[in-house]
Amino acid sequence: MLYNVLIDPFVQMGAAPDLFVQTIWEGLVAGVLYALIALGFVLIFKASGVFNFAQGMMVVFAALTLVGLHEKGVPAWIAVLLTLGVMAILAIAVERIVLRPLVNQPDIILFMATFGLTFIIIGLGEFIFGGEPKQMIATELGLPQGTMRFDILGGKVIIQKIDVAAAVIASLMIAALALFFQYTRIGRALRAVADSHKAALSVGISLNQIWAIVWFAAGIVALITGIMWGARSDVSFALQVIALKALPVLILGGFTSIPGAIVGGLIIGIGEKLAEFYWGPLVGGGIENWVAYVIALVFLMVRPQGLFGDKIIERI
Amino acid sequence: MVQNSTISPGDTLLKVDHVSLRFGGVKAITDVSFDIRKGEIRAIIGPNGAGKTSMLNVINGFYHPQDGTITYKGATRAKMKPYVAASQGIARTFQNVALFKGMSTLDNIMVGRTLKMKSSFFWQIFRHGPAMTEEIAHRRMVEEIIDFLEIEHIRKVPVGKLPYGLQKRVELGRALAMEPELLLLDEPMAGMNLEEKEDMCRFILDVKEQYGTTIALIEHDMGVVMDLSDRVVVLEYGRKIADGTPDEVKANQAVIDAYLGVAH
Amino acid sequence: MEQDASAALDTFPKWLAHQAHARPSRPGMRHKDLGIWTEWSWAEVAQNVRAYALGLMAHGLQRGDRIAIIGNNRPKLYWSMMAAQSVGAIPVPVYADSVADEMAYVLEHAEVKFACVQDQEQVDKILSVSDRLPNIAFVFYDEPRGLRAYDHSRLQAIEEVIAQGKGLMLADPEANRRLDAEIARGTGEDISVILYTSGTTGRSKGVMLSAGRCIAAARDTVAFDGLSDRDNVLAYLPLAWVGDHYLNYAQALIAGFCINCPESPETAVEDRREVGNTYAFAPPRVFEGMLTRIMIRMEDASWLKRKLFHYYMGVAKLWGEKILDGKPVPVLARLNYAIGELLVYGPLKNVMGLTTVRVGYTAGEAIGPELFSFFRSIGLNLKQLYGQTEAFLFVTCQKDDGVRADCVGPATPNVEIRIAEDGEVLYKSPGQFVGYYKDPEKTAETMTPDGFVKTGDAGFFEKDGQLRIIDRAKDVGRLKSGALFAPKYIENKLKFFPNIREVVAFGQGEEFVTVFLNIDLVAVGNWAERNNVSYGSYQELAGHPQVYDILAGHVAEVNRQLAEEPMMARAQVHRFLILHKELDADDGELTRTQKVRRGFIADRYASLVKALYDGSTEADISTEVTFEDGRKGVISARVKVMDATVAPVAAMPQAAE
Repeated sequence: MLYNVLIDPFVQMGAAPDLFVQTIWEGLVAGVLYALIALGFVLIFKASGVFNFAQGMMVVFAALTLVGLHEKGVPAWIAVLLTLGVMAILAIAVERIVLRPLVNQPDIILFMATFGLTFIIIGLGEFIFGGEPKQMIATELGLPQGTMRFDILGGKVIIQKIDVAAAVIASLMIAALALFFQYTRIGRALRAVADSHKAALSVGISLNQIWAIVWFAAGIVALITGIMWGARSDVSFALQVIALKALPVLILGGFTSIPGAIVGGLIIGIGEKLAEFYWGPLVGGGIENWVAYVIALVFLMVRPQGLFGDKIIERI
Repeated sequence: MVQNSTISPGDTLLKVDHVSLRFGGVKAITDVSFDIRKGEIRAIIGPNGAGKTSMLNVINGFYHPQDGTITYKGATRAKMKPYVAASQGIARTFQNVALFKGMSTLDNIMVGRTLKMKSSFFWQIFRHGPAMTEEIAHRRMVEEIIDFLEIEHIRKVPVGKLPYGLQKRVELGRALAMEPELLLLDEPMAGMNLEEKEDMCRFILDVKEQYGTTIALIEHDMGVVMDLSDRVVVLEYGRKIADGTPDEVKANQAVIDAYLGVAH
Repeated sequence: MEQDASAALDTFPKWLAHQAHARPSRPGMRHKDLGIWTEWSWAEVAQNVRAYALGLMAHGLQRGDRIAIIGNNRPKLYWSMMAAQSVGAIPVPVYADSVADEMAYVLEHAEVKFACVQDQEQVDKILSVSDRLPNIAFVFYDEPRGLRAYDHSRLQAIEEVIAQGKGLMLADPEANRRLDAEIARGTGEDISVILYTSGTTGRSKGVMLSAGRCIAAARDTVAFDGLSDRDNVLAYLPLAWVGDHYLNYAQALIAGFCINCPESPETAVEDRREVGNTYAFAPPRVFEGMLTRIMIRMEDASWLKRKLFHYYMGVAKLWGEKILDGKPVPVLARLNYAIGELLVYGPLKNVMGLTTVRVGYTAGEAIGPELFSFFRSIGLNLKQLYGQTEAFLFVTCQKDDGVRADCVGPATPNVEIRIAEDGEVLYKSPGQFVGYYKDPEKTAETMTPDGFVKTGDAGFFEKDGQLRIIDRAKDVGRLKSGALFAPKYIENKLKFFPNIREVVAFGQGEEFVTVFLNIDLVAVGNWAERNNVSYGSYQELAGHPQVYDILAGHVAEVNRQLAEEPMMARAQVHRFLILHKELDADDGELTRTQKVRRGFIADRYASLVKALYDGSTEADISTEVTFEDGRKGVISARVKVMDATVAPVAAMPQAAE
């Protein structure tokens, strides 16, 4: 029995390396997409200290808006621009209506506010777009279809082109965001606001402006996430369950770290797939659903700030 | 470095007019009036709880007075947002040091340049052309401040790790990066030993001499007040009890009774 | 090296011209300012120095005048030296942190006509004693901050002087020729620099060094260590110290390597890393400080890091020095060491800024053997040298493959060493001084009739030909019982312990030996933090009973070591105390090069010395101290005196020599 758990899976990996590579690839893709979702959370948390429960919903909302506009006859890329506009309006609205009145309240109050926001968005979405699942307009956006097949390692590895596109686009966006935070004036202002509101105010940074920008950025991330996820499955409210998977990713990578979101995402994604494929049969399958949370639990006990999160620096 | 040539040294830069501030039933400031002249160092002194920090907060926009007005550079206003005050040339340090603890000294002072950074966000991402030249110019300015305050050796250290005295210096640096016309310092020497205090005094005097900045400072060390300031305002229980040169104030009986104890 | 032509290069200005000609675009000097490194090629350095010299001549500088150079290591101050020498004037560097009074003495004694200083602080010091300095015609400064409002009738920025010189070069065709003529007039016989030694006793003396001798000595060591224009040094040691003038200034002009000036003394550690220095000198306490900091950080590191560190330090201990010395080592061990290099030694050296160092020297006091073997075992070619200002530094230096902790090496090439009958070390060297400025009697006292210089140190040669220094000749004394008492020997043994920063030993003519101890605040402070011992001040920590116990242990250990040496066994430490304040150069207790001034200390702390010998367990002491800005204050304390554990000495023959 011990042999089955500890040795056999590795033997299998070695025996069929093509399957191993296939599994790793699947895990990578899943991981990248998890990272995208986590990224939305990190952005808002880093700049305003608010854990945005509504992030998952924003992904769905963005995707629905895009598809909905296209259904009404708007050409694909115009629809993208319009959706971005909608997300911008959403950002400003959230900042003005939800955040500003609650600006000095404890974090938990703000968190509950985003909770409520989630349900508002759900309601709004259902009202405007209806409840049935929709097709993501992948081809219209120019995303590749079909598969690529590699005959290597004694077997075959099949890769969906859309997955490759997803990985590339996500990586580019992550890189852009990291540069943005580090090197631009606004990026620096964002970090400052995340660190100390009082100091930021006294230096002349307008908190309201910063928050609006951050929510908009999170909105862009949500849209891209929505497009990628939607292209692989459907666009429906079920998508927002994926957002729950973001939590282990955040715990692993640190709530305030962009590289952490990537690394965490990859670890969870690959870890999940490997666990499901090689250990799954031992327990009758279904590992995928919970192994991420187990990993997160371990991290909470050993390194709560995550791999890259900010350690609290204080002089006693 | 400092523009705004409409006000010359010696003219009134800021005027506090019959300002009163209440928090519920507590009267923090009651009917206080005084002025600050351009180019001078104005000390605000008084026993604890006299309303000194509240006064700075009113000037800076963190608190809004119920009565009275503030006239700054000729424009009168009752309320002001802190970031608007900042954009008009008022910079501030805090009693308990408000720095971005997770960022390095360099970054902290760079943030002070935020208001002065003009180039568009778009170009900044690509670090090209005008954005790059501007970034270099700002960096140079920040490096000069670092050189001025002798903090080269902690340039990259996260500010949260620094001892209190150095944190205060970094905070001064950040305020200076804003190229302020009016610098509000809240107990800049608190918690410093003799050597550090002397260094800080030297820096404050140099700031006045080199940049022509007007300075209002809250301070408890009477020696420092006597050495540094041109004029002094004394507050007690939210009211002004004296206003004049350091010597005049030192000899003032009301001040001696309330604060100094024995004539030094 | 360019042999034939270089025989005619007998002054530093001629060497500068040579470097500008031979390697004009190689970097000559760098300075980190406002966060970035600015570089001047040899051609640019020469150009600036020429302009500077012309500017100085226009201000009235003449051959034979003395110029004071006061400040930290800055290119413009090095250029001041070169410019002065070009005209045949003599630079007199002064310690940047000297108090106004010390500075006034030197400037007065040397009758300086000009002063080239770094910044407002130095200008203020000179102005404060200007009544004692009637000879000074002009003061030139490097950094203008704070000096705008000063009276500039006799004050000017060095930058302006250089600009004036450049203007002259353009306007007046004769100017260049005049300058070249002055440079050509210089010979090896000229006095090239006067360095005032920080006297451990009495006032400082001005050591006069001639150009020819300086150059001869520098050429020997450049060849000895294989220095070339590919090397880099970090110039962070005081300009007034012979080491800086020799190792940085002289060797750079001969070999053509680059002198890198750090941003400020505090950033020197960081800047060293950026520079990639290949040749490094540091006094032992700097290396000790590095080691202490590493040990402290190791204790804070994760379990894995600590295990790795200790394991690989063990590997280094076994094989490191052998590998460095080129001795045969088993292949497997070499492999393991290479892994260690990747994981441990490399990162360590990187943190200390020593990665690129080919040759490291230390000197000044005896270095603890553990310290030596630590650095050598991780691959740093650390060697000892021994010398003095009067020798223009080098008397002995160790070869790469003959490094011992307790000796200072064989004589430097072309240096002759002789041991006098009373044990004093005498030498004759190519670089030796011409004499003390305005003090022919002292000069005569320091030389033997046949031209050897008396070092004032006692020592002897070991079997392998290396010199071993015991102590200052006049400090080597005898206890009441006739036993040999070499205070420095005992002090150095105690200073090997990281917890102990400074030691002063007493015993001349007494029954037994006693010591004052100074704790090292970094090491002991760290211990206190780790063991939850709280203290509010240095004084409190120094007086803490647990600290006393720790130091008692160290003293006992040293006593055990002494007991095993026939010559020293009867000089064990019987009683000790921990001083309530750190010994400080500003208070006159240490020299500017951090050497102990025993006589001065014995006087100042007389009540404590008395307590050591009359059996008291505590004593009161009140001392006047000087703060950095020159103001004075008083520190009082009640200091505890403790007995030490003396190790038993085996029965010995009577005349133990």
